[in-house]
Amino acid sequence: MLKYLLAKNEDIPAGSSAIYFGFSAIIWFVLGTGLGAFNASKLAFPDFVTGLEFVSFGHMRQVHVHAVIFGWISMAFAMAMMYITPALGNTKLWSEKLGIWNAFLWNVGLSLGLTVLWMGMTSGREYSDFPWFIDLYIAGFMALPLGINVWMTIINRRTQGIYTTNWFFAAATFMLIIVFIVGNLPEFFHLTGLTEAYLTWWFAHNVLGLWITPVAAAIAYYTIPKVTGNPLYSHRIGHLHFWSVVVFYSTPAAHHLMSAPLPEWLKSFASVEGVLILVPAIAFVSNILLTMQGKWNMFVENLEVRFTVTGCLMAIPLNMQGGFQQTRAINWYIHGTGWIVAHAHLALLGFSTFLEAAAVYLGLQTIMKRKLYSLTLGNVHFWMLLIGFTTYWVSMTIAGLIQGAGKIYEVPYIDVVIAEHPYMIARWIGGSMVFVGNCLWLYNMWMTARLGTLIPAGRMPHELAYER
Amino acid sequence: MAWTWNRAFTTLSDDATVEKSETLWESETLGGLTEDNNPIPVPVVWLVALTVMTAFLVTFPLWGQRPTAALYAPYVDLMDKPEVVAAVNDVEAMKVLLEISKSRFTGHDIEEATRHPLSMDDLRIIRPQIQALEAKGVDLKDFTVVGPNVVIANFEGNYRPDGTRIRQQPWWDKGYTIDIFYLAYFFFAVFVIVKRLPPNTWVPRHGGH
Repeated sequence: MLKYLLAKNEDIPAGSSAIYFGFSAIIWFVLGTGLGAFNASKLAFPDFVTGLEFVSFGHMRQVHVHAVIFGWISMAFAMAMMYITPALGNTKLWSEKLGIWNAFLWNVGLSLGLTVLWMGMTSGREYSDFPWFIDLYIAGFMALPLGINVWMTIINRRTQGIYTTNWFFAAATFMLIIVFIVGNLPEFFHLTGLTEAYLTWWFAHNVLGLWITPVAAAIAYYTIPKVTGNPLYSHRIGHLHFWSVVVFYSTPAAHHLMSAPLPEWLKSFASVEGVLILVPAIAFVSNILLTMQGKWNMFVENLEVRFTVTGCLMAIPLNMQGGFQQTRAINWYIHGTGWIVAHAHLALLGFSTFLEAAAVYLGLQTIMKRKLYSLTLGNVHFWMLLIGFTTYWVSMTIAGLIQGAGKIYEVPYIDVVIAEHPYMIARWIGGSMVFVGNCLWLYNMWMTARLGTLIPAGRMPHELAYER
Repeated sequence: MAWTWNRAFTTLSDDATVEKSETLWESETLGGLTEDNNPIPVPVVWLVALTVMTAFLVTFPLWGQRPTAALYAPYVDLMDKPEVVAAVNDVEAMKVLLEISKSRFTGHDIEEATRHPLSMDDLRIIRPQIQALEAKGVDLKDFTVVGPNVVIANFEGNYRPDGTRIRQQPWWDKGYTIDIFYLAYFFFAVFVIVKRLPPNTWVPRHGGH
């Protein structure tokens, strides 16, 4: 891939940047979940690797979180945009060269960012932990080039209409840049106090709400109709989904601070909007599941459909939790507990990961014109991910309820730690399963690139039988 | 792209625009993908309506608020009563205190007090703070109890004639009002966008099928 950095745009094969982004995403997923499993082992077995500052939990947690959000999830999104955006416009990517440079600068910037976090240089603000110069780098050299490529590809499309997926891609890349610049203002201008707290959670909420959630959903709008061959059930529900994300997801940041001395009217406003997050969720889930009509056999038979529908189904508990856990009465109980950690993983490792894994599976096979090397390994990956994640989610939810009870009834902290210990071990087992599954995935995709059966032009990967 | 308002609940586009949209819809494949023109299903409409109602009901400003200093004032006044002092331990003392305080509670205070229980030790910590406020003659409902501290509540209501500000959570606040504004323009905008499409009774034929 590096040889294309200095090649002419016309000499770069179509899809190269998507392949670069795709394999980078999988490698970051392996690293990110490996770090997560390591961190979980420190919580399950507190004497595991002690005395070294750079592998202490406080350093490693941030590296894990940012490796999966900006390495795995965001690079998988970029991969999907690099091949889906032009496909939906019946055109080529506006600039493969910009895409290659984008992927290269993304890897460089992320490596630098994670290194400084590892060294202990951090803003100390959750989810926006990167120091200010990394934030500017991300906005200028990672998000902006991605946005330019997506917007220009859509502008230069050969269709009159714009498909639902591309509405989300174009809007989300724009909103990501805004979120990064505005959300990090406390670092650029040393804002403190409530302003810093509010903007910290405005950033964290909107990275989820205006980047990860809509782009993951947009991918499903492509994957399901593309693989099943069914038309998208309803263009109208697509409108309801898109505009409800814009209106209801962009506004509830204050519901992360229900116990902070923010104005109460702002909390009331944000809390109502927080429940209304269910509106885009209802629209999304109903549209995808209704599109599956007549093709439910593919939920069993086809790997990409199985990943996508599973991710889509996870949107139901995700949004039920998200909508109600932020209300004053429930937040009082679960705030600051493992429940929130479980919920965050349901969003990122459950809902979002399953949708974009489908896009990476489908995209890499389609672009490389090679059928998946091993369906068995693909199935093992799916089940390792699903069982591992579910183990993690259930155990952390229970641990969170124990912590909530301990908090409310003022149980001595050490007693709470002892009570939740079995669930910390279950968390480690679940996280480790996800890590092992991802290692198998990397191997499978590497072998697909080398030895996968060639797919004839005009055919979809799932239309071909496995030859081995 | 002309508008028509004669059949607003069917379509807001005139016949020529509808025909043009239908032709484009059927002739264009977006990377091999097509879309149907199905209406938003009735259960989905009901679910959205239920969500909106639920959103306002479960986030009602009075749910989940911190206890006010006024809620604990009856306890503070009565905690030196002989029957409380004579209790065998603090747990029993608190039970007695709750029982004899009931007559002092008004409205829903008894439910509030049950939702925000506290121990005799808690009471001993906040007692001097509440007594100091009572001595000043301020409205105790303007103060909330946050852990061991009695602090001025985080609300900014209207001014009283004496220039002090009412610090009490209203049953309806301006956050709610803004939400209604948001919802109104959201539903109006989505209605207009969706109704600019061809009528939902029209079924597009994809690839001639």
